[in-house]
Amino acid sequence: MGRFLLHRLLRLLPATWAILSIIFLLSRSFSQQQLATGRLADVSSTAHSASGAQRELAERQLRARLGLAEPLFYFSAAPRATAGLAARWQWNGTTNQYHRWLRQLSRAELGFSFRDEQPVTALLQRSLGYTLPLTAGAAACTIGLAWLAAPYLGWPRRRRSALLSALYLLDALPLFVVALLLLLLLANPDMLAWFPAYGLGREDPAASGLAQLQFRLYYLALPILALTLVSLPALIVQLDAALRQELRADYVVTARAKGLPEALVMRRHALRNALLPALTLLTELLPGLVAGSVVVELVYSLPGMGRRLAEAAAAHDYPVLLGGVLLIALVRLVAQVLADVLYFLTDPRIRLSQ
Amino acid sequence: MKSRARFSTLRRWLALLWLAGLLVAAGLAPVLPLPYAPDAPDLHAIAVTPLTGQHWLGTDPLGRDVLAQLLFGARTAVLVSLPAAALATLLGTILGSAAGFWSNDNIRIPAVYGLAALGVVAFSFVFQLSSGTSILLLGIIAAGLSLGAARLHRAGYRQVVALPVDRAVLGLGALVASVPLLILALTLAALLQPSPAGLLAVLVATYWPGPARLVRAEVLRIRALPYIEAGRSLGLPDGRLLYRHILPNCWHTISATFPISVATLIGLETTLSFLGVGLPPETASWGRLLASARLAPTAWWLILSPALAILLTTLALRQLSNTVSRNPQ
Repeated sequence: MGRFLLHRLLRLLPATWAILSIIFLLSRSFSQQQLATGRLADVSSTAHSASGAQRELAERQLRARLGLAEPLFYFSAAPRATAGLAARWQWNGTTNQYHRWLRQLSRAELGFSFRDEQPVTALLQRSLGYTLPLTAGAAACTIGLAWLAAPYLGWPRRRRSALLSALYLLDALPLFVVALLLLLLLANPDMLAWFPAYGLGREDPAASGLAQLQFRLYYLALPILALTLVSLPALIVQLDAALRQELRADYVVTARAKGLPEALVMRRHALRNALLPALTLLTELLPGLVAGSVVVELVYSLPGMGRRLAEAAAAHDYPVLLGGVLLIALVRLVAQVLADVLYFLTDPRIRLSQ
Repeated sequence: MKSRARFSTLRRWLALLWLAGLLVAAGLAPVLPLPYAPDAPDLHAIAVTPLTGQHWLGTDPLGRDVLAQLLFGARTAVLVSLPAAALATLLGTILGSAAGFWSNDNIRIPAVYGLAALGVVAFSFVFQLSSGTSILLLGIIAAGLSLGAARLHRAGYRQVVALPVDRAVLGLGALVASVPLLILALTLAALLQPSPAGLLAVLVATYWPGPARLVRAEVLRIRALPYIEAGRSLGLPDGRLLYRHILPNCWHTISATFPISVATLIGLETTLSFLGVGLPPETASWGRLLASARLAPTAWWLILSPALAILLTTLALRQLSNTVSRNPQ
């Protein structure tokens, strides 16, 4: 199993590294341009009422502060003025931004935010504390609901198709629409004001652990519900298709013939086999939930990872954005490896073929 | 049974009607006699309910007319997602069919040419370097090339190398897929200046692996059929086999997934607009209209009308996909 996992990781890691490098290089080359046009950070505040030399000095200082002073990559195009036929490319050695970024990354440092100069790792850690309960809760709810709904998929055609068309309708809506509709229905003084519309509230530090948990859940209920509602349809539809396949098999006829109750036939026999194709969907589920938290946290004003990511994207705060993308890419990597492990555990054929 | 058949025909016509209406609205939005422009605030009517005055669907908290924003949002959705889906499908079809048809070992070039091309590229790069390190690099490249030449000499100069097309395309797809679609699109859209063309490029660059994988699987299946073997034995060239005999049979699959692609891309475009990335802030979009609902949480008309528009469009596109996949021509 160790060798199997190592093999998988070695195949998955290069793609992740490459996409992160591409995003890094793109973001840095764009921030060079935006620095020149004064769109980035606080250049504009110093730009007024300053002479040309002062402005240039301020820009150079800002460049050094943001770590944009060094060349971008191992080689770069020489400036047009000096470019003859002989010198169009310039070799920069290891004193370049990319090399520095990689070295920082190997020490698990992600640089500093362009906006408030805080270390990105600390920022991400703080916001992860809010996002993890949200995504973990949503993942647990999705899987639990799919598990609960599975026996009903054996229902006669008419009743089953009602359930499936409801899911089909739900699947047609993007996450932010579902979140807004929930807000309109369940957190609206004109309709039903069951849940708070935004934020996490102010916890009472003197309250007991259980009361604090209840308080947390009360505020997280709607975001978790939105995430669950959106990720459920794909899982159920896949499960349904796999179950249709399995229920036609001979072993199901045998199980029914020996008088097992229908729920047991579903849970113990058909579902176990139908789970295999659904496992691949779990790979999508975790990264999807993390990506979905971008939307949900913005709608419900939660101070988590996703909201920070969206704000960093809107404010051109590239170090934070890159750190967030790195984290999400890692989640996807972990999810893929997790799905492999689950496959390994559930399907003996993979173990035997080793 | 008969009523069910009639129901499904009705559904198909409704879907087509809605999509046609959407296209007409998108095309005619600038010339329709609307009482208000989509981005002109009416400060006398801020967040009013539908059917007040001439605001048939109400206004948002900034006093902009919802109906006008819906129509112009439809225009944005159509003008962005339709070309994006078409381009992504085209790119995916080209890359996917090449990967499926030639696999890893069917395009071969003589190793001599390969080595020569490599040498030319490497030397032209190094000769343009300006600093002193170029001597060192020159040495490394010369050593590598002579090593290659030595191997070639041993293996004979007729040696061919295969281009791993399939591996390259799959690797490129895995690269794009290693970050979730929404996050990748969000990041790339944040890097570019907000503009429709930039958003289009981002959507195409992130969405092509799906169609590519589909077409590749389809080409792999068809390539193994006897009539392709017959074509080969007749001596048809590769290009002709692929474009005249294999791709026409993939057409059905491609056209059945195209509406789904459009629906997904509309969802992505509205989500990005909702997050405030990708399109310039003055462009009307369903996502932006829904974003304005966050300023007035009790304004149901701000949420219901664009949500219905998105829902109906997605359902109609899926119905279209179903219709296409059930009626192979």
